[in-house]
Amino acid sequence: MLEKVELENLSKGNIVAYGEIYRGELNTSSLEILSPLKEIGKTLNKKLVLVCLIDSLKDIKNLEEIRKSLADEVWFVINEELKDFREDLYAEVLVKIIESSQPYGFFFPATKIGMSLAPRIAGALNIGLCAHVNSLEVKDNQIVMARPTYGENIIAKLISKSTPVMATISLGAFSIKYGIEEPLMKEIVFPKDFVWKSKLKIRNFTPFKKKPTKLSTAKVIVAGGRGLKNKENFQKLFELAEILGAEVGATRPVCYEGWVEEERMIGISGVIVRPKVYIGFGISGALQHTVGMENSEYIIAINTDKEAPLVKMANLALIGDAEKILDLLLKKLSK
Amino acid sequence: MEKIIVCIKGVPKPGTIKVDPETRTLKRESLELILNPNDRVALEMAGRLKNTYNTEVIVISMGPPNVVPLLKHAYALSADQMILLSDKAFAGSDTLATSYVLAKAIKKLSPFSLVLMGLKSIDGETAQVPPETASLLGIPSLTNVKNLFLENNKWIAIREIDYGEEEVEVEPPLVVSISPTAFDYIRPPSLKKLIEVKSKEPLVWQAKDLDLDPQKLGLQGSPTQVVEVSEKKIEAKGIILEGNPEELAEKLLEIFKEKGLIRL
Ligand SMILES: Cc1cc2nc3c(=O)[nH]c(=O)nc-3n(C[C@H](O)[C@@H](O)[C@@H](O)COP(=O)(O)OP(=O)(O)OC[C@H]3O[C@@H](n4cnc5c(N)ncnc54)[C@H](O)[C@@H]3O)c2cc1C
Ligand SMILES: Cc1cc2nc3c(=O)[nH]c(=O)nc-3n(C[C@H](O)[C@H](O)[C@H](O)COP(=O)(O)OP(=O)(O)OC[C@H]3O[C@@H](n4cnc5c(N)ncnc54)[C@H](O)[C@@H]3O)c2cc1C
Repeated sequence: MLEKVELENLSKGNIVAYGEIYRGELNTSSLEILSPLKEIGKTLNKKLVLVCLIDSLKDIKNLEEIRKSLADEVWFVINEELKDFREDLYAEVLVKIIESSQPYGFFFPATKIGMSLAPRIAGALNIGLCAHVNSLEVKDNQIVMARPTYGENIIAKLISKSTPVMATISLGAFSIKYGIEEPLMKEIVFPKDFVWKSKLKIRNFTPFKKKPTKLSTAKVIVAGGRGLKNKENFQKLFELAEILGAEVGATRPVCYEGWVEEERMIGISGVIVRPKVYIGFGISGALQHTVGMENSEYIIAINTDKEAPLVKMANLALIGDAEKILDLLLKKLSK
Repeated sequence: MEKIIVCIKGVPKPGTIKVDPETRTLKRESLELILNPNDRVALEMAGRLKNTYNTEVIVISMGPPNVVPLLKHAYALSADQMILLSDKAFAGSDTLATSYVLAKAIKKLSPFSLVLMGLKSIDGETAQVPPETASLLGIPSLTNVKNLFLENNKWIAIREIDYGEEEVEVEPPLVVSISPTAFDYIRPPSLKKLIEVKSKEPLVWQAKDLDLDPQKLGLQGSPTQVVEVSEKKIEAKGIILEGNPEELAEKLLEIFKEKGLIRL
């Protein structure tokens, strides 16, 4: 049984993270964002709270993960109307929680759901929202957030003048850490007159057939870019990945060319990765790509151009033809 | 059916983006603007709905006067009317201040059945404007929509989330952002309309035409602020090896062993 707290009695001034639960399963990106928020909480002496909207507690598949999380408290809102994700109702519920608990900060993982939900809340409360943040720090008692911007190699640091400070945090930008103490679990009791109504009706759900890629948590990544020349060459990366126990990643142009699914895109428009070893075949290393992989422990670049940015940032760069080297590798490894 | 409104944004041609060192926002006035590529997909959706339901399509854009050619292009693609939302007071808007002006303009165009937007811009790339505008209008929003049709006067949308696709039913009005991969084929503009638009100019609405709170506009009405812009420096830190492919492949195998990726 959960301890029940009336909406108006929620503790104030916390740092709150959105715990995305879809069809009974917590999206682990919500656990990722707790890692930097815990640090911020420590610096500012604020409690870290995870808020989850669900229709029933007993159906949650990975409750264990929540129990092990870094959160100091977990607040559940439980109502059968919350079974489906409906952004208008979900936003209204969260707006009520923000109004009563006046958090210092409110953060979302930049999932499709998070990015659909957070702006509705920002609009309703007339507050700022920073997008795709991949680093947070406290400076002069203020949360400063960094996000990459486009076209040129520019990193912008942003603040939000309104409270709560709100942002969506890039997927994979932080790794999951676990806490020492189990968080306090509470159920928020909404006032009787709250109307649990949405204008949206979810008529059908078709899950993706393919399993989502494990890119963001992969230990080894073999990635390919335009320098691999064609789809056929690109497909050979899957053979190499199989041998090395790696995942396959890609740059945006090759995803758009249809050499591989967009789920494998690494970078600002795709996934952020931090493997132990990253190998880039024929990738130039544009900022939009490198912000997604720069925290890899060991970077290998294979490129014909000595001046390519990825060659410069690599721990090991091989100046040569990516296709030839890939073919030779496969030949040697299959022996 | 009531009208469909499409919001389009002029974005700097990739590679030409400059930051104003003083306000730390993107310099837009001096730039060559192109139509945000994702908005092309929203216009395609509008064109297809227009063919099916014979509805009126209005295209609007908030930006400097150099977005007019883009509005005209959008007109030739699928619109019946163009509106430019332009005022010095709008400069430096973040997503909240942008959504505020868009919501006021859309409200002025009521009643409407649907607002179409791109998933995200290629400059700010926040993807926040569509849901934020809907929230300010007090109407529902859906993002990443791949298909859209009417059934018994209700919108049926197929939208993508991280887990799969949902079919959602909602009564109009509604704001949606269209998935960049919604269509396999995008139709070119009609020749007739390309000629027709030459003699047309968009309606221009300024701040005074929209019943706006001046506190909520532009840079000063934007709660998010860029405090620092820094260029990323790339330093050489590793080993660069040249050689024939055979030698390089051998070197890679060595590293694979060293890192424990392969045994032999
Ligand atoms: C370095 C930098 C970082 C920034 N970071 C943030 C941030 O974190 N948070 C924030 O709130 N703002 C931020 N901004 C400001 C933001 O990018 C704006 O320019 C804002 O006006 C539009 O947001 P967007 O381009 O991200 O639009 P998106 O939400 O990505 O655009 C989605 C769709 O909305 C419609 N749309 C967007 N703008 C217009 C328009 N002017 N007219 C008509 N339709 C439009 C289009 O259909 C578009 O496809 C940042 C700006 C800079 C320079
Ligand atoms: C708003 C925006 C968002 C973006 N988001 C992303 C993103 O999330 N992820 C992303 O990856 N990109 C993104 N991009 C695109 C990005 O700017 C680059 O264009 C892209 O990363 C380049 O991909 P590439 O390295 O495959 O291709 P290229 O830049 O064309 O590089 C190909 C490289 O291959 C080398 N090469 C050529 N022949 C050979 C050979 N035979 N053997 C070995 N090497 C060879 C070349 O020297 C070159 O360095 C974005 C762009 C914009 C504007």
